[in-house]
Amino acid sequence: MSIFQEISEKLQKGRAKDVSALVEQALNDGIAPQDILNEAMVVGMNAIGEKFRTGEIYVPEVLIAARAMNAGLKVLKPALTSAGVEPIGKAVICTVKGDMHDIGKNLVKMMIEGKGIECIDLGVNVEPSAVVNAVKESGATVVCLSALLTTTMNGQKDVIDALIEAGIRDSVKVMIGGAPVTQSFADEIGADAYTMDAASAAEVARSFMLN
Amino acid sequence: MNAHERFAAYLAGKPVDRAPVIEWAPWWHLTVQRWLGEGLPHEMANTEALQGYFGLDKCLQTSVVCRTAKTPHAAEYGSGIMKDEADYEALLPTLFPDPERLLSDGHFDWLKQTHERGDTLHFFTVEGFFWYPREMFGIEDHLYSFYDHPELLKRMAEDYTEWLIKVFHTVFSRHRFDFMSFAEDMSYNNGPMISKALFDEFLAPYYKRVIEVIHTYGIPVFIDSDGDITEAVDWYAEVGADGMFPLERQAGVDVSTYLDKQPSMAFIGHFDKMCMKFGEEAMRWEFERLLHSMRRGKLIASCDHQTPPDVSIDNYRIYVKLFYEYAAKVTHADETVLPCPVFSGDGQACNSKGD
Repeated sequence: MSIFQEISEKLQKGRAKDVSALVEQALNDGIAPQDILNEAMVVGMNAIGEKFRTGEIYVPEVLIAARAMNAGLKVLKPALTSAGVEPIGKAVICTVKGDMHDIGKNLVKMMIEGKGIECIDLGVNVEPSAVVNAVKESGATVVCLSALLTTTMNGQKDVIDALIEAGIRDSVKVMIGGAPVTQSFADEIGADAYTMDAASAAEVARSFMLN
Repeated sequence: MNAHERFAAYLAGKPVDRAPVIEWAPWWHLTVQRWLGEGLPHEMANTEALQGYFGLDKCLQTSVVCRTAKTPHAAEYGSGIMKDEADYEALLPTLFPDPERLLSDGHFDWLKQTHERGDTLHFFTVEGFFWYPREMFGIEDHLYSFYDHPELLKRMAEDYTEWLIKVFHTVFSRHRFDFMSFAEDMSYNNGPMISKALFDEFLAPYYKRVIEVIHTYGIPVFIDSDGDITEAVDWYAEVGADGMFPLERQAGVDVSTYLDKQPSMAFIGHFDKMCMKFGEEAMRWEFERLLHSMRRGKLIASCDHQTPPDVSIDNYRIYVKLFYEYAAKVTHADETVLPCPVFSGDGQACNSKGD
């Protein structure tokens, strides 16, 4: 088994310490950091995303895999920076104003990071103006908005309105999700995408950045 | 038939004069605020008064938790009050209050009086074996705990089981509730948060033990889980649950498939709350959608969670009017409806203990 496969498999099993150690070993062996990222860690998270999407694994397994990914990234990041490797893009993510639920948002964030995208997480109960500011400051090209409640889902429209008002709507793709959210709601409020699960959200965010 | 007789007969698969007309969930405060602005008298702004105001069958909840006033509160929504076994040890002296002192004599008197009046269903609620550790660990750490602290999770479930069994004996020997519910919320809009393997290891053994005790009092057990419960219905059926609610349409739930695979189970809810704002025609279509399932099984149609604040008081009145109209169409006189597990088997469950 190659070290890439080994890292990918340990990552999928959520073995954070093993992933850190293997990433360190790979770096010591002279393997390029971007290859470790793309050939091992992103591959592992892609497999996790697919297994989650098809119901082969559930939320705890995604969480421990993402934690292992982060452990590996911590070791890898200095090497990536030294090598001048940039993320494929930046996304701003939050749960909208009035809504305190963050597990769905966190899952999307983990999956998006697993695609090699830098995620600016604004947390929960976020004002539309904070999203606008974060987009302006970071240059993010994707905004991901989560809402769990029927009473807060309109907060997603408020963010889109704020982006329009700030004159930056056309510079970002807005993705929405959450329990009460549907494709028709996304169409109604002018979102660019609705995705029904975290793995699909990461795929769509990646496609927005690459196209 | 009074409310108790009707509810029990409905769950036992026997003929009724009509289906129960209940709202199991209290109303959203934002909805009540709106209705106050639309003429709802201020003295009606509480659950019991609202049920009477709208003319529903009354359905009131008594709930207890194993934490006490001495137990620390989570710092913010979703966070927990413990991280590991040492934290749990430190919390133990504040947990598991004396079952004899959970409910006052006055509360039992109120239960008895309202029960004897015949128009009020009472249900007893405790936290389920998914919900309880989530309250302790916090939402995210609880999900990690299945892998980080499996033995601690089992210890907590064991301690909680022992306490619940004492609570059930203490409470149910004084009052026979119409049904009980475990607050669980184990599912979200894409299904259960955990796998069947984790459910079997960390929840099922404990559920089996407590449900067996509850059934000796003849009390049906419902699991309250939001989201898509299509997979979880079968898991809870396996541990002996009699039913589930609220069957949220927004999560893609379809009760007819549940009636096919679990015909002994009862279900409460499933009326799509999102249609209520559109008025009579939309609500009538929704009742028409549910009618077939109400007739062939033990579906107690009811708002599939709290009525949203975009529903006017006039639309809610129309909802109740239609609710009665469609409840009257369901008598189970000509259909064969299987009894819930608590009412099946040796027939001892219904009258063995309690008042």
